[in-house]
Amino acid sequence: MAQTSTTVQETLERVRTLAERSGAAEAETYFEFITLAEARVREREVELIQQSAITGLGLRVLRDRKMGFLYTTDLRRNVIDELVLRTLALADQATPRDENKLPDQAFPPQGNLEIFDDAIAAMRPEQLIPLARSLEDNAVARDQKIQTTIDTRAGYAIGEVHFSNTFIPYQVFRSTVAWLTCTAVATDGSQKREGTYSDRKRVFLDLNTPERIGRKAAERALARLGAKPVPSTKAPVIFEAEAAGAFVGGLFGAFNGLNVIEQRSFLAGRMGQQIASPLVSIVDDGIQRRGLGSRPFDGEGSQTRRTVVVDRGVLARFLHTASTARRHNVQPTGNAARGYDSLPTVGPTNFYIDSGSSKPDAMIQEVPRGLYVTGTAGFGFDIAAGEYSQQVEGHWIEGGKLVRPVEGVTVAGKRGDMLLGIDSVGRDLEFRTTFAAPTIRFKELTIGGV
Amino acid sequence: MSLESPISRRDFIRNGALLSTAILAGSAGGIPWLKGAGVAEAALMGIGQELRDVLNLETVNRILIEALARGGDFADLFAEQRFRTSIVLDDGKIDSVTYGYPRGAGVRVFRRRQTGYAFSDDIAYSSLLDAARVASSVVQNQSPVRPLDVTPRRLPPPFTLAAPAPLMGEPMKFDLLRRMDAAARSADPRIVSVRIDYVDEVRDVLIGTSDGAYVIDQQFLVSIVCVPTAAQGSERRSGFSSLGGRVDQDYFPRRDPEAVAREAARQAIMLLTAGPAPAGAMPVVIGPGWGGVLIHESFGHASEGDGISRGTSFLSGRIGTKIASPLLRVIDDARWANGRGSYTVDDEGTPGQRTVLIDGGVLQSYLLDRQSAGLLSMRSTGNGRRMTYRQWPIPRMTNTYIDRGVSDPSSLLNGITKGFYAAEMGGGSVDTTSGNFNFAVRLGHLIENGQITKPVRGAILIGNSLETMGKIEGIGNDLVVEQTRGTCGKDGQMVPVGVGQPTVRFSSITVGGTAI
Repeated sequence: MAQTSTTVQETLERVRTLAERSGAAEAETYFEFITLAEARVREREVELIQQSAITGLGLRVLRDRKMGFLYTTDLRRNVIDELVLRTLALADQATPRDENKLPDQAFPPQGNLEIFDDAIAAMRPEQLIPLARSLEDNAVARDQKIQTTIDTRAGYAIGEVHFSNTFIPYQVFRSTVAWLTCTAVATDGSQKREGTYSDRKRVFLDLNTPERIGRKAAERALARLGAKPVPSTKAPVIFEAEAAGAFVGGLFGAFNGLNVIEQRSFLAGRMGQQIASPLVSIVDDGIQRRGLGSRPFDGEGSQTRRTVVVDRGVLARFLHTASTARRHNVQPTGNAARGYDSLPTVGPTNFYIDSGSSKPDAMIQEVPRGLYVTGTAGFGFDIAAGEYSQQVEGHWIEGGKLVRPVEGVTVAGKRGDMLLGIDSVGRDLEFRTTFAAPTIRFKELTIGGV
Repeated sequence: MSLESPISRRDFIRNGALLSTAILAGSAGGIPWLKGAGVAEAALMGIGQELRDVLNLETVNRILIEALARGGDFADLFAEQRFRTSIVLDDGKIDSVTYGYPRGAGVRVFRRRQTGYAFSDDIAYSSLLDAARVASSVVQNQSPVRPLDVTPRRLPPPFTLAAPAPLMGEPMKFDLLRRMDAAARSADPRIVSVRIDYVDEVRDVLIGTSDGAYVIDQQFLVSIVCVPTAAQGSERRSGFSSLGGRVDQDYFPRRDPEAVAREAARQAIMLLTAGPAPAGAMPVVIGPGWGGVLIHESFGHASEGDGISRGTSFLSGRIGTKIASPLLRVIDDARWANGRGSYTVDDEGTPGQRTVLIDGGVLQSYLLDRQSAGLLSMRSTGNGRRMTYRQWPIPRMTNTYIDRGVSDPSSLLNGITKGFYAAEMGGGSVDTTSGNFNFAVRLGHLIENGQITKPVRGAILIGNSLETMGKIEGIGNDLVVEQTRGTCGKDGQMVPVGVGQPTVRFSSITVGGTAI
């Protein structure tokens, strides 16, 4: 094999130039190189160790406002050359669209994001094993009823993104992420329940300790033992912060500029209206310091930024790629999400309900009778209709106290009314995934039970 | 315990360095099947020709020797190349067309419960030798094991395709989408948007195993999903329908794509005026076909060998015991004709098979891959699947369904004074430790006095597996196995599956609507 010296940059330039010379009016290259390692431990034994490097190239071409895209992990020169020509031919068969235009403004990449940690970059796979063991040890040590775990993992990844298009010169950024996750199993007689707690961070020292994560996983599993359904009713429902984060994640699609313009979001046509309680502000922050979704530029080279989508209950912005922004006649918001193997689509950066002022304990104490939700499951979101229905578990609240564990129930509401009916927002916002929220309380939802 | 000989930093960097080698490697090779006019020629060239050229018997033997150099129960090499075409039609326009060409290989070593895995995004011998070394490091304090020399195995395919759908030319694919778009739009003036997603792939795999198998296979898959949205006042509702499978090109005219698109539009329109779904426990009848997502979630996942061999599934140790209504017979069939989940061989070299999981309400079998089968002292049922070469195989379902019963479907409504009929289903999920599961209904109807009445909007349905399977009161004779849309996710790996059932009646399921 040839071993002449070249760089990723030169390869990208060559591929882009070939596309342009072969008839592309605009071309974009997106290259990823990710190294990752993960160790999984169960009953003190290393159950899995994996270590890998991912490389892949995506090429987008535009010709007469028609778009074609290719991706490959096979980076041999003649393979890529062949694919470039075929993709151009394929693009010819697409429909011209006015909004098909690559971003053409070069911005200085957003700096000081602190998304790269030298400590993670210097990690070795074998260092993951004691971390994973410690997760499990701490889960098992919490209680006699915790005998085992089923998904206890520690891992890290180091990524590089290389980007250029016909207008924006070559840019590159590096990022790191490390994660710890533990699923403990609590057993009581013939009853088994699992509980999961996990954390992901850009910087290793920001991670919750394995002691805390293991203990939390065990406590969640224990809390579910003996859970039972409650009778169907309408009552106040509190979503504990992590469940509220999952809820806001399900809401994201309603702010997607493409869904809005194609009438697939219940928020279409409601800009400037009060869609949620004045206690609620929702933010997409692509430049949050150490944010899991932060990056210096988005998946097509647009500047990333902080966007308030709901400002004290008022719908303020939708989120966009370059093409959806053009269709709405607004500026892009830096939300082009992608990997090398996908076209940019509107995606979240760090998407969250902003912190409120209530103490989570007080939010429970104020409820005479209601449901405290600690976990949600199921595809219960209908973005077009604005309706919500999910399987939940948690605790029943009686007289301001959590009195017994609950499972086997659903909660449902019409999303518009639900958001307006939020009557308390906690101050416990914490980021462990790209979706986050503090504890939130709905004045009334329908609980489906026995 | 710690690794006796840690994976060295050097190996890791070396994987990284492969990047530049791969980019630089110039002229040799190429994609022969891209040289000609198209993918069709490729298929004619012979299955996995290119993988075979690089990974011949000799090369695979050497890689497996390296993989077991520190010992282990089993090692395999899995190489894969896919040629994937996707087309998005939105707003009446062909939005984008994508070609994907992912290619690579992974090496796995396991000993008892321990697994080592490493992959490479190229299939060069030196890269895979590195991967074998990394994967082997999971085993320690063991003597080398000599793998059997691999020999080619020919396995009988469950069905053959004369003219696989992915090989039809792009103009035919565009034409199909445009016709569906026009049909959905013209179905009703209230249809305000239509999105159609087309994806097809040709997947070549080559598998070499330390027990001597060398298997090559080629798999074709196509899927079209149609989502029209209807609007009236401030109400917006989306419908959904799909087409596809491991089918020949003549499938499309037979299946009438325009009718399929109109069906999705009809759902969207019906939902505009549908009332709120009820809340609480009540008798539920689930329609045929995709309703099989219930058995997939409530039972299928819990029967998979990983949870069984760890003892965490609620089905662990239950073979031969009664776990469900005596009416219930459940089958997982990797050989269902044209099935989304069908294959000749699974992703670790074991032939796909038909497995009866429940018969007469009694648990008959688990779904096993090699590792879980070994731990349970059983034989693999050919259910070891992986998403791509970047993942290791785990036990998965193929085409899983409740078998045909004897009841006339309409008779299953008899005697229900107030209940819920689930007509169109969405996705679901399950916790296999507790057995609590859910699945979404897109469109339902009330059942009143033995009749299907008003349409109602979607809601989540929930239950506990064993309780729910005990509540089956009747099974129709109208079995449909849905082969056009199922994608199952587990441990981050997505694989295509079929699900199915006849009409099934349950004495009680909790419906998560808003109306009390």
